[in-house]
Order: sequence, then C-alpha cells, then structure tokens
Amino acid sequence: MQSNNGYYGEFGGSYIPEILYASQQQILHAFEEAKNDPEFIAELKDTWQNYSGRPTPLTFCKNLTDHFGGAQIYLKREDLNQSGAHKMNNVIGQALLVKRMGKKRVIAETGAGQHGVATALISARLGLECTIYMGAKDVKRQYPNVFWMKQLGATVVPVEEGAQTLRDALDEALRDWSSSHEDSHYLIGTTCGCAPFPEMVAYFQSVIGEEVKEQSQAQFGQYPDRLYACVGGGSNACGLFLPFLEEKNVEMVGVEAGGKGLELGQHSIRLSNGLGQKGIAQGFATMFLQDDNGQLQETHSIAAGLDYVGVSPIIAHLAQEGRIQMTYAMDDEVVEACSLLLKKEGIIPALESSHALAGAFKDAPNLPKESRIVINLSGRGDKDIFNVAKAMNDLTFPEFLENYMADYNEHLSDNNQGEA
Amino acid sequence: MSQLAQYIADKRQQKPILSMTHVVYGYPTVQESLDWMATLLEAGADFIEVQFPFSDPVADGPTIVAACHGALHDQQLTVEQCLSDIGQLGRDYPQSRIALMSYLNPMYRYGLEKLVKRCAEENIQGLILPDLPYEQATELRSYCDTHGVDPVWLVTPVTPKDRLAFLASEARGFLYCVARSGVTGNSNHNGGERQSLDEYLAEINSHANAPIGVGFGIREKAHVDALKGKADVAIIGSALLDAYNKGGKEEGLKLFNGLFNA
Repeated sequence: MQSNNGYYGEFGGSYIPEILYASQQQILHAFEEAKNDPEFIAELKDTWQNYSGRPTPLTFCKNLTDHFGGAQIYLKREDLNQSGAHKMNNVIGQALLVKRMGKKRVIAETGAGQHGVATALISARLGLECTIYMGAKDVKRQYPNVFWMKQLGATVVPVEEGAQTLRDALDEALRDWSSSHEDSHYLIGTTCGCAPFPEMVAYFQSVIGEEVKEQSQAQFGQYPDRLYACVGGGSNACGLFLPFLEEKNVEMVGVEAGGKGLELGQHSIRLSNGLGQKGIAQGFATMFLQDDNGQLQETHSIAAGLDYVGVSPIIAHLAQEGRIQMTYAMDDEVVEACSLLLKKEGIIPALESSHALAGAFKDAPNLPKESRIVINLSGRGDKDIFNVAKAMNDLTFPEFLENYMADYNEHLSDNNQGEA
Repeated sequence: MSQLAQYIADKRQQKPILSMTHVVYGYPTVQESLDWMATLLEAGADFIEVQFPFSDPVADGPTIVAACHGALHDQQLTVEQCLSDIGQLGRDYPQSRIALMSYLNPMYRYGLEKLVKRCAEENIQGLILPDLPYEQATELRSYCDTHGVDPVWLVTPVTPKDRLAFLASEARGFLYCVARSGVTGNSNHNGGERQSLDEYLAEINSHANAPIGVGFGIREKAHVDALKGKADVAIIGSALLDAYNKGGKEEGLKLFNGLFNA
C-alpha cells in the first residue's frame, strides 16, 4: 500500500532524532530504486524460492471445516518458510537491500526471537555482522531462540531497561542505530517504525497475499470471502491483506492478543474496545497503549510476538476506515485453538498464529457453507513447546526437564574431569 | 530577535560562554529535582534544560534513560504540574531561563497548542523535542510563532550540508548542535568524525540565524573552553547526572563549578 508521503491517514510519518535523518533518507531512496530494479526483484524471488521455500502452500482443512460445519477453511502456510515463520520474507528483502547499500552490519529488535532468528539466518548467509536486541525478560522466556541466534554468529544483547521486553528492545535498537547508522542498517521486523519501514516491510510481506490470490484462483476459481490474520506489529496481516485491498468483496479480520483480560497491562489490544489511543513514539504515529499522561504501558500476551504496545500505522488506518475488522482472542481461547488444529489437521501452529485461528473459529460455524476463509498461519509452533506444555498443564514435561538437567550436568562434569 | 536569543546575546556581553544544565523533572522525586534545579540556578546556571520524562526516550543514553524510568516508576507526573513547578522556579531566578525538553508523545497527549500557550504563560521560552523533526512540526511552529516561544532545532555532524544550512537559518532562540553521533551520555567527544568540531561549528555559524548551543559529550572543562568564541551555550546533561548519581547535589555542583565557575 502506497503511503501518502509516509502517512496512512493520520498514522505513520517519520518522528526520529535528527541524527538518523540521513540514514533514513538513504533507505527511502535505496528502497525506491530497488523495487523498480528487475535485477533486485529477480534476486529477491530467487532467494524466497530457493532459500525459504516459497511459494508456501494454501492448505484446505477438511476436518476443521466438517467440525465447524460452516465456512470452508484454508490455511496459508507461512509456517513452512525457512525459520518457521513469515518473518523470513522481510529479512530476505531488507538484507538484500543492505548489500545493495553497501552496509556491513545489521541491527534488529526481537520479542519472541522469531525475527531475531530470521535476521541471524540471513546475516549468516549473506555475511553480515548481526546484533540482536532482546528484552532481558524475553531472553529468559525464549532461550532456545537466543541459543540459535548465538550459534548463527549473532551478538544477542539483553536489554535491561524498562519492562525488558520488545518495546525496550526496539528503543535500544534505535539507540544503536543512532551511533552506528553510517555502516549499520536497522532491520526492523514489522510494519512499524518511521517511514519507509512500514511500507517497505509490507511490500516484502505482500508476497503472502499475492500467492493466496493465485492459489485461491487455481484451487477454487475465485478469491476467498474472508481473510484472518493475527496482529502484533502487523506484518503478517499486512502481507495477507494488502494485495486484496481493492477487492471489495473480500472481508478482512485482524485478531489482537486479549491476553488475560481487558485491564491495562493484561492484554495487547490497541485497535478495538477503545483501549488504544493515538500517540507518536518509536518513530511513528499510531494507536498505542498508554496512560493519560502519554506514557507507554506494559502489555501481555501468551504469544511473545504479539506482546507489543503499538501497531502498524497501515493496520491502524485500515481499521479506522473500517476496511479491516478488528477483534481479539484471549490466552485460553488461543491454546484451545492451537490444540484443535493439532488434533484435526496435524499442524503445529505458533501461539501468535493461533490467535488468527481462534478468531476464525469463532466465526466459522456461522458462515455459509459455500464461503471460503483463509487464515494466515504465520508461524509454526515448535518454539512454543515450553509455553504450550505449561498452558496445557502437561505433568510429564517437568519430569523431562529434570531428567534433561540431570543428564546435562553429568555431561558437563564428565567433560570437566576429562580436561583435568 | 526572539526573547531567548536576546537573552543569550545580552548575557554573552558578560560571559564568554553560557551554561545550560540538564535536569530530569521528577528524578528521584519531584521535590528533589526542583531543589537540584534551584541549586544550579543559585550557582549561576544560565539555563536549566528540564526534561519531562517519557517511557521511551530513544535519543537518550543509559544514564538519562534510567533517570526517566526512575522518575516514572512510582509517581504520576503531569505536564501541567511540571510547567507550574518550573514556571515558579523561573520567577524565583529571573536572571536565568528555563527550557523544556521532552519527547513528543507526552506533549502531544497534553495538547501541543495548550503546551505552547502554557509555556508562554510560565515564561518558558524554549522547547526541545528531539523526536519532532522540523518537517513534522508545522502545527507546533505556528503555535510557537503566536505565543513567542522558540522551538529549538537540532543539527548533527551527519546532517547533510544543505539541510544544516536550512535548519540553521530557521533557528529561533538557539540552535542545538549535537557534537557527535549517538545518544546522550557517550564520552567520546566528537571522536572519529570526518570533520573537526571547529569546522563543524564554523559551518553552522556561517548559516546560523540564532545563537549556538553545543551538547552531547561535554564532560570536562577543556570541552567547555574549546567552545569559547565558537558557540554561545555549553549544554551538560549526562555528565552532570552521573555526578549527581554519584554524590548528590554536592558532587553535581562540584562538576558544574569546575566547568563554568573555575
């Protein structure tokens, strides 16, 4: 979606410290040139296909469809990307742009670690130095991803400021960029931040919706009636929705994280129920969760990737216009939806994507049998094994961890004795 | 000439360089921060740059970030109360001036028009918002023109030359020159830049339509002395806060006196 000089209605823009002006302009121009350069586009498509495995399938879910007895349910399988999430589409695009700009280092923020891992993967492949900022709390919660980032050669910096989550990681990444902009690129992971990041990330993610257009035509001869995506920063939702924007018959539903309840601090609902308010922070204008004095607030979701205080200015604008309908799913509904997909279709969804499932499952029984819905399965759930085990109150999991720890410690002490 | 520029010009008749000291409002408490400001004014600070804390201060380094978070931790700070408090301080020390610094969001929530009007009422003549670039500030500039408050623009060593010339010519009150890349608090004073600080300031001076303030990285008397004859105001922030954190008002005052009254 083309912005109006960086704005989408009243949202977006570029509110950055003066020190970043020149670098921001450089990205703006490099992106404009690159997207009009057939060689760049060819390399992008080649990397998407041969490194990340695109196009990803559009999978019909017969069992789920029968289960609900309403709309025919399809999943867009972004979980099958290299790295296990749609994040890969964007990092490939931006990393190729980094090479084009002649920069040698990338900085990224990450919440759950999915964008961090994706950035570390592409950096390893393209020979870029990579620094990942991650809230200290998230480092603890999502250690397996931290482990892989380090193995991939990235430097992971735990951010001890503030609430030690994604918002703080983003602030810290911006600070790094303020000192390192001459040789570093801020590889932002979602459709947020100053212009042109929302537009650029949405551009790279739009491959999702473009493929759905072709695949839906091929599989059932028309476009879907409704689309569902979870909305954290908004990148997978932008990716699925934006190519369908002009198709007036295609309805779009964004699902935010209802968390544990609607009190401030318990959820990440910015775009419905009047919970978010317009603000300008972290480089752009959008709907933020904030108090009356304009201080940004804590958020919560069982899915770390949706646990963010702001939201894409593109989604905020389309929601305000009524083009996208916004809803939310609570933590427990999300775990139920995840469980249902496991059992009915043999697919392990990420908890982020399970929000889209939960939103769609509420509507599916009430939709006509001949209607077709596409749910963006933005990521796979392997990374959530610890959280899902806990949410499902699985009693054997702690036993596994204890055994694993005992074995690990034995292994370490054997090694130490071997060295002595 | 704006009130603020006039003030600087007049004071510069008596002093080779003016001092601007940065204090975070509400850190560690509102009263302690106001006492600290009064102490600095008593010691002859020409300006206090009062930072109204924001939860996400992206242009600041660790020292100031920690102070902002500390200030917001256990208390509700309101812009209204801050303006009243620092307005009173300004009336208590009429020989000095107070500038308000913050990030856009708390100010936006308070209302930009109301903010500028209230600043004028409290004789706060300068407004520094590091995440509001000139291009995005059309509204704010018009309110400032109406009420005689100066929006303070920042330039940096990596600001493109034509943009630097433009911002310098648009300067009101004073132009805030960042001495190096990065966030506040880094001690590497203009280190490793392609251009020397002198050349950078000369370039700015050739375009500037207002006095020049220099900040970011000033920690020693030599840094302040190096600005004499090239700039009008030396701005100290993180170094002063570091001293204050180390030994309270006494340590902070020692640094201030060492830099400006020695």
